[in-house]
Amino acid sequence: MNRSFPHWPLSHVAAALVALIGCRQAAEAPPTNVVIRQVASLPSEPSDPAWRQAVEFDAKLIPQDMVEPRLLAESTAGVRVRALTDGRDLAVRLEWDDASKDDVPGPAKFFDACAIQVPADVQSTVPAPQMGETGRPVHISYWNAVWQASVDGRPDSLAALYPNAAVDHYPFEAESLKKDPAAQQAMAARYAPARTLGNPMAGPRESPVEDMIAEGPSTLTRSPEQASRGRGVKTATGWSVQIVRPLPASAANHQPGQIAFAVWRGDAREVGARKMRTAWIELSQEEIHEPSASQ
Amino acid sequence: MARVYNWQLQREMSYWYPENRPKRQFAAIFDINKCIACQTCTLACKTTWTSGKGQEYMLWNNVETKPYGSYPLAWDLNLLGKLGAQQWNGGEYPGRTLFESAEAGERVLGWRPEEPDYAYPNHGEDDCAGQVDAGADVNIPHLSWFFYLARICNHCTFPACLSACPRGSIYKRPEDGIVLVDQSRCRGYQECVKACPYKKVFYNPMTGTSEKCIACFPKIEEGLQPQCFVNCIGKIRMAGWISRPDEARPDNPLDYLVHIRKVALPLFPQFGLEPNVYYIPPIHAPKPFLQQMFGPLAGQAIDAYRAAKDDLDLAGLLALFGSSERLMSRWKREGEMIAGLDDQGAELVRVPITEPVSIRPAYDELYQIARVNCP
Repeated sequence: MNRSFPHWPLSHVAAALVALIGCRQAAEAPPTNVVIRQVASLPSEPSDPAWRQAVEFDAKLIPQDMVEPRLLAESTAGVRVRALTDGRDLAVRLEWDDASKDDVPGPAKFFDACAIQVPADVQSTVPAPQMGETGRPVHISYWNAVWQASVDGRPDSLAALYPNAAVDHYPFEAESLKKDPAAQQAMAARYAPARTLGNPMAGPRESPVEDMIAEGPSTLTRSPEQASRGRGVKTATGWSVQIVRPLPASAANHQPGQIAFAVWRGDAREVGARKMRTAWIELSQEEIHEPSASQ
Repeated sequence: MARVYNWQLQREMSYWYPENRPKRQFAAIFDINKCIACQTCTLACKTTWTSGKGQEYMLWNNVETKPYGSYPLAWDLNLLGKLGAQQWNGGEYPGRTLFESAEAGERVLGWRPEEPDYAYPNHGEDDCAGQVDAGADVNIPHLSWFFYLARICNHCTFPACLSACPRGSIYKRPEDGIVLVDQSRCRGYQECVKACPYKKVFYNPMTGTSEKCIACFPKIEEGLQPQCFVNCIGKIRMAGWISRPDEARPDNPLDYLVHIRKVALPLFPQFGLEPNVYYIPPIHAPKPFLQQMFGPLAGQAIDAYRAAKDDLDLAGLLALFGSSERLMSRWKREGEMIAGLDDQGAELVRVPITEPVSIRPAYDELYQIARVNCP
């Protein structure tokens, strides 16, 4: 087989190689932290092409093995993170490998979930990475697959969770009560105290994300202000979840800050404190103004 | 872990939180010998508290047949196997409790029932231990045995569910020792389900939270006994208050039966939770089985119970079971009558220790007719 090669001057070849190597180094150098890139408008969902503009940071996850109950067996190795801002909100996309989709609650069943955590305030030192510490709170935006299924249209019914379930009778659905819907609802509420108290762990949801505040392990509490939103999509290999929340205090002041992540795998029975997490990771903001994501 | 004193083990033990006993402790006595497993208690509870969506499988109260019955499946055998041999030394238990046996990363030694484990609530029902072939059933005493074990939450002094909750969502009320899950704070981690050895906390998929027996606290606050007590047609139950043994009051029915006469015993005290439902053991079951289940005093409790027919105080107190919906914190006997009193000493109920019996002749001479002597 005859091949013809162009006859380039050696100096040109050397220059091209140097340039090529330089480019490759610049393109492949993995980022050492989470970098927020500014865009005109934030992506609408995790598969939005606008996410390609963001630099991907591969965050290594470690088991939460500091406080009981601990996670002793490693599961999810890492989470791929991208961050964008429109100057007002921070959008973070988390992607991790998970073969199974766990989005049905039940006894001894757990569900896939993830969270991002930032210090509540700008301070000279960061709070403890394990959910903050007394007097030094952290803000947490938590997403889970059960809530996502609800937002995606799964009915709020037992049949949606147990398609083959047969139930004889609920007293609050008695024929005699149907003339008085208020009494019927009041009776149903008595059998579901968590819902009556406004505990949003189950029930119809408008958002699969919840804003939480914590000052150390065991203090996690629903934030009075719910500002985060998001969407998670199961991919062939795992989850791709986008969470949008107000820009953290540090980034809003154009200062480097900190961010941390956690991932729960339902099939590994990870829940609550039993999670894969990161330490604090530096959160910096790129000062380049990119074109609008929609352009 | 803190060090606390568990009088049922007669020693100090390790617990997640420091000892903090309530002002008074809700407690109960169940006389196993009188239970017929009619499940009226189960239905009373079900109707009152767990008829909601997501609660279909829950039995805050259940009655299972021992030795084979269990709900959820093998709740006791699984844990006994994990805990290993449990050896008593007289009245003291030097072995490890569930808190002292916690595996790495855990607060309590526990196990998690799978969904199918809740699918057989009447597994083993009425099955007796051993064969009854070849006419063995007509031999007295019977060679085979079974008994019914009614179970609710034990509202333990050292609850495993409470210690296992990483969020502090479970609390023990200081006024009455009732253990509750804060339904506004629970996030459904199910650590309590795994930790409770009696498996009396249940996850509700429709609320996303865990739920449990609440000892009918709205009734307790009104001075009334819980639904499963007052609906018991066998009158096997009495609710009330239990003191520490060194503070036992002879005029408190539960103190008298548990501490003074030692006729009622806790369920698996070796787990270390200081459970507050006490059982009068069944008189016909093998003592080794009962000692494993109720501790080393099971034999003595049966002896005391058998002697009740000649003991007006003991027989009288047993007659008070199921005699009133009111909580009886005191009692007194006057001759052949026994009375239950409230905290202020006001009489709530008075019953004869021996029920009056009237026997009619089988043949009525006046009307020239045979009568059947049954109600």
